[in-house]
Amino acid sequence: MPEYSIIGKSVQRVDGPRKVSGQAQYAADLNIPGALCLKVLRSKVAHALVKEINVSEALKVPGVVQIFTHADIPGINSYGIIIKDQPALTNKVRFKGDAIALVAAQDEASAIIALSLIEVTLEELPPIYDVKAAMREDAPAIHDRGNSISAYRVKKGNVESALKQAEVIITGSYTTQRIEHCYIETEAGVAYMDNDLLVIKAGTQNPHYDRRDVARVLGLPMNKVRIIQTTTGGGFGGKLDISVQCFLGLAALKLGRPVKIAYDRHESFISTGKRHPFYIDYTTAADKEGKLSAVKVRIVGDTGAYASYGPATLLRAAVHATGPYEVPNVDIEASCVYTNNPFSGAMRGFGTPQMAFACESQMDLVAQAVNISPVEMRRRNIFQKGAVTATQQKLDASIGIGKTLEAAWEKALQVMPGLGDENI
Amino acid sequence: MAQFHLEMKVNGKAIALDIDPGLRLLDVLRDILHLTGTKEGCGEGECGACSVILDDELVDSCLILAPQAYGREVITIEGLALNGELDPYQQAFLEVGAVQCGYCTPGMILAARVLLNHKPKPSQQEIARAISGNLCRCTGYAKIVQGVEIAASIKETKEGVSRA
Repeated sequence: MPEYSIIGKSVQRVDGPRKVSGQAQYAADLNIPGALCLKVLRSKVAHALVKEINVSEALKVPGVVQIFTHADIPGINSYGIIIKDQPALTNKVRFKGDAIALVAAQDEASAIIALSLIEVTLEELPPIYDVKAAMREDAPAIHDRGNSISAYRVKKGNVESALKQAEVIITGSYTTQRIEHCYIETEAGVAYMDNDLLVIKAGTQNPHYDRRDVARVLGLPMNKVRIIQTTTGGGFGGKLDISVQCFLGLAALKLGRPVKIAYDRHESFISTGKRHPFYIDYTTAADKEGKLSAVKVRIVGDTGAYASYGPATLLRAAVHATGPYEVPNVDIEASCVYTNNPFSGAMRGFGTPQMAFACESQMDLVAQAVNISPVEMRRRNIFQKGAVTATQQKLDASIGIGKTLEAAWEKALQVMPGLGDENI
Repeated sequence: MAQFHLEMKVNGKAIALDIDPGLRLLDVLRDILHLTGTKEGCGEGECGACSVILDDELVDSCLILAPQAYGREVITIEGLALNGELDPYQQAFLEVGAVQCGYCTPGMILAARVLLNHKPKPSQQEIARAISGNLCRCTGYAKIVQGVEIAASIKETKEGVSRA
């Protein structure tokens, strides 16, 4: 192996010394003297129309400077990465945790008292927590566009005739749960006006998208909004969505004063995106040697109250539903559906971990049915050079998955004594 | 509310303050002394991001009322690097890549320090137990455990040199 000066050499991370010495400044560490404290009033019900918001008592609390509602949004009151469907402050509640009002106060204690004095009159609507119920024709619409957002299809060959000829057919239903990213740093930020330029410093994974959405919600041209990403204490996809950015921008712009917001763990849990729960019906067909002949998969992803990255997550789910295995006949449909659950968005793997659970479970069941070991089942179907994927891509260059499988099996044999005794 | 007169030592320096007695040690460190290397992750003693050393013991500063620190000595992450030179724990964490987002790092390093004070050559299991109150969501802990092992060996070498 040639010796390179950069390739193959470890590099110390640039921000490492600041992080190990406690000098790195995360969003909540920023201290602007005189900054107002912001707190958000969140819905305790999952589905309702906001009929009236009375802030007169709350405004009397000493220390409270201003209270904002949907009526105070100067621009277009909707943001979102793929579909602009999420309001900064809402007049229709779509999940427990939707933001209804924003308090700006001189201190946190006054802001918390003010939250308890805001009177909100709601007209409650029946909540829909189940994706299958949300997909029914007569289900109440959570958004004007209806509850089914998008559907993706991946088709290859002729699944119906392959199913008729199959020697083994395994059908399973799989559900996966909602997961919170739980980065150790909760959402936080500061904002201030630099003459007519709005400056927002926040923990985020997506400063450029944040800028676009903040400008839209506040009715500002893009060049009057600056987003600065602070050192970010984990994101894992969960900090791709807007969290505190619009609140910070609205208050700083309207009041002309520096502001600060920091979510506690409870608020981070209830108000931010999650991993999509999936509902998967998976049919696998094979011959008696375990060679796959067809898969038919139906996937529904619960994107909750807002789309976030839902459509892209379900597209990935459809594309990756067959795993790293070659299947000649494929029929996959994936749907992204609104419910009144917390919204789901990007999280590590982006829809593929959910599919891996279903696909690999099916592989084990087929192996059992044809009486071969799980690892042999995978050997017989894994992508090789020249394989054609479900989306008809020919893999004509390097394919490492077969080698990886063998290396993983070898390692497993080393560290798990007794494994492989059942292997044939 | 009546103020509480708090006297304590923080990173070797004597501190005297009149504070609201309801404040947590975490609030005094972060909001009054501006020692923001100590982080808040959960506010209920689950995650360990707010770990500090109180008289040689690792504590969650979100679960300690500030008046409880009266007359005691607190060490935060800012108290480790002397004259800007990183100490063995900090060096070791950097060397093996035990730091990713860095939010749990101050608490992890302080947990390592308390462990090595009591047990200079810990086993991997002892290290895992010592950091079990400190959650990391980025790394999977392998590099952190390795970092503590390396810190132990750097310390041993340094102490060997200084004794010689």
